[in-house]
Formats: sequence, structure tokens, C-alpha cells
Amino acid sequence: MLSQFDYVKPLVLNEALDVLSKNDNTYILAGGTDLLIMLRHNLIDARHVVDIKAIPDLNVFSYKEGEGLEIGANVVVNALIESDVVKEKYTALYDAASVLASFQLRNRATLVGNICNASPGADLPPSLLLYNASVKIASSEGVRTVPIAEFFTGVKKTQLKKNELVVSVFLPDPGQGDTSCYKRQTRLKGHDLSTVGVACRLDGAGKVSVAINAVAITPLRLTAFEEELNAKGLSEETILWGEKEIQNHIRPISDVRASKEYRLHMAGVLFKRCMTQLMEKEAHA
Amino acid sequence: MTTHEDKDLCALEAAHQESQERRIVLSLTVNGKPVVEEVDPTMLLLHFLRDKLKLFGAKEACGEGECGACTIILNGEAVTSCLVLAAEAQGAEIVTVEGLSKDGELSILQQEFVFEDALQCGFCTPGMLMSARALIDRHPDPTDEEIMEGMGGNLCRCTGYHQIFDAVKRAAKREREELNRS
Repeated sequence: MLSQFDYVKPLVLNEALDVLSKNDNTYILAGGTDLLIMLRHNLIDARHVVDIKAIPDLNVFSYKEGEGLEIGANVVVNALIESDVVKEKYTALYDAASVLASFQLRNRATLVGNICNASPGADLPPSLLLYNASVKIASSEGVRTVPIAEFFTGVKKTQLKKNELVVSVFLPDPGQGDTSCYKRQTRLKGHDLSTVGVACRLDGAGKVSVAINAVAITPLRLTAFEEELNAKGLSEETILWGEKEIQNHIRPISDVRASKEYRLHMAGVLFKRCMTQLMEKEAHA
Repeated sequence: MTTHEDKDLCALEAAHQESQERRIVLSLTVNGKPVVEEVDPTMLLLHFLRDKLKLFGAKEACGEGECGACTIILNGEAVTSCLVLAAEAQGAEIVTVEGLSKDGELSILQQEFVFEDALQCGFCTPGMLMSARALIDRHPDPTDEEIMEGMGGNLCRCTGYHQIFDAVKRAAKREREELNRS
């Protein structure tokens, strides 16, 4: 590791924000499963590392009926899996958390870290897009809230400014009769990002929403596709139509994980599998 | 007149001075024993265990949390110590593979790894054992799926996974029996 940094572990949020605003080359450490890799590969030059795990404000993990679920920056991925609320109300997020990396990594990795790292193939963002999550961002100047759809700006790039950190992610309450799921294709279970991953949601009013990762520089909500889909009405025929049509709404590239053609094909297949599962679930409800 | 060499020496000394100033006094419990050591903030927990404490059980292979060879138990949770800073373990309780045996006798889990031939070259074994320990602590009667999930972050390139799977299953069963007997 070439970076020569000092390490601070503040007990209050303001202290962390203070270090961030006063020093360049400052990096936030929560789980560290991405940060440590970047440090070890000398991809970044860190002078200061701020460990936020002792800041109680960032531990928030609470659900209020009718309002929603707030997930603080220190909440690890395994905590999402253990939560009944996540499993029952935000099933796509539960599915995504369950397939993210390995058990050991999920003991450290956080949801907020997953979005801040902003990998196009990250597993958690599609579910957050489905639920119109919002990201609470703090700096020494104050707090602002950004819709998750605007948070990602490119490969490993987000709206976050140098002096800001993400406090929590908020998912509005989906209400009754809402189901969702996330399915992905990956090269190695437990050891890789998704080659392509699709999340679908069927809300209480029967409206479908679809989000996808690893087919563009950021995770995407396919709103135009959703409109066409919802105009047609949900049926087995619509799903088969959607399996082909979804390919007109994405422009994946070929890379180390898969070819463009394979991604296009699998996007359709995963969409079909997700929707079939949701329809079956609805039929049994 | 200063030569280039003098300048290099000055820079080295300054860097050394700076690194001395950054040092952190770390106090934690490793395998039940209190440990106090001075470390550089850039030191990884894995390197702290191996280089400072001479506990060579946890292995470094991939160095990026993929292979699980460096798995230890940190405050009751299995984690890959190659992606944790030593500084993060301030006040922590750590168990490494060296902490599994008691009074020179292998633990039930280790005995079952031997019985099932669940190791060949042995490089992945300390990590496997720590993942298995955390798994059985979590699920004293693990289902097949829970074993696969709990051990899925540990790669083995020679033994094969069947023996490891069987060893974990047998160990959990024997531990339950011992618990009922006592």
C-alpha cells in the first residue's frame, strides 16, 4: 500500500464532516470492502481515512409504517438480510443483498458503501431505483436529499462532492399488495458483480416497474419500457413481448464479464423470470 | 553543499518521522489474551496478526476478500482480515485459528476436518475453520443451504468441497451432542 494516511474515528457526525471539508484526499471508511481494495491496489492516494463506525447517527435502521425504511451508512448488508421488513416489504432488496459477494464480506459491506462505490454492476441499486429511494447527504454546510435516480453520474461516479458524505438511504413505504424481486446472472456465485441484473416490482395498483444494472455506465430505471409495458397490461403475452422489447431499451457493452449480445439476451431472460415469479406470487396472494 | 544522496536521506528521515507521529496504540484481545501494540494506521489487520503477533494461521492469498483464506472472527463475526485495517480492531475481540484448540487438544471442528480428510495442502484450512466456527455459532444445527452460504466465501483449490461440507456437518452434530450431555 503506497498511501500514507492517518486514521481518525470520530464519535459525532460533525467531526467527520469537519475533517472532510478541511482536508483533500480524505476517504470515508465504513465496511472498507471497496476502500481497502482501492488502497491496496494503489488506485487512490489517501492522506486521511475517517472511520465512521463509531458515529451513532449513522447506525439508524428503522421502519415506520406509512412512511418508510431508513438505512444508515453503518448498516451492513447481512443486517438487511436478517430484517423481516426488508424481506417482506422490499423483497428485491432482500434478493439483491442475499447474492451480494460472500457471507464474510456482507458482514462488513454496507448498502451506503455499495451506492457510493457506484459500480455499474453493483447489486443493490436496481432495487433502490424501483422503490424511488432518496439519499440523505450531509456536509458541514448542511443536509440535502437526492433521488437515487440522480445520485449516480457515471462509472464509479456520483453526485457526492468532496466535502459530503451519505448519512442514509430512505425507501418510502410501498404499501399493501406490493411485490418485487431481483435476479442476476453472474460468473461466480459469491465472488463477482452481476453480469447483468434485473429488478422488477409489481405495486398494489398492478403497475410494473423495472430497473437493471451492468448495461450502462450507471444502474438504470427503464421508464420508457415501463410505460409501454403498463399500457399493454400485465399478461403472459406481455411478458414474452417484454423479454424481446427490453433489449431495445438498453445498450450494453462487451467487457471482461460478458459480451454485449449475451447481456442483451440475459436481460430479457431475467426480466421474464422476474415477472413470472411476481405473477405467480400475486396469483397465490 | 548537499548531494542528492543527502537529500534522499533527509526525505527518508522526514517520512520516517511522519510515520512515527501517525502511529496508533492498539489494544485488543486476541484468542483470549490482551494485546497492546503500536501500529501504523496503514497496517492491515491480517498483517498485524501475522507480522506483529506471529500468528501465521490466517493466510494471504487474493488480498481482496475473494478467497477467504484470511478469514478470522472479529467481535463474533467472520470477516476477511485482508480488508480490515488493524486500527479498526481497537478494543475488539479476535479469534484466529490458533484460538480454536484448548490445552493442546484440537477442537471438535478441527478433529472432524482431520477425520473427513477435509484438507489436502491446508492453505485454505484456517479460513475454512473460522468460517465454519462462525457458522456453527450462528446455526448450531445448520441446513445444507446454510452450510453452503456460510462457507461460500472460502475457496479451496485442491481438497474439493465435499469433505469440508461433511466435516462441518459432523462437527455441528457432535457439538450439539456434547452440549446435551453436559
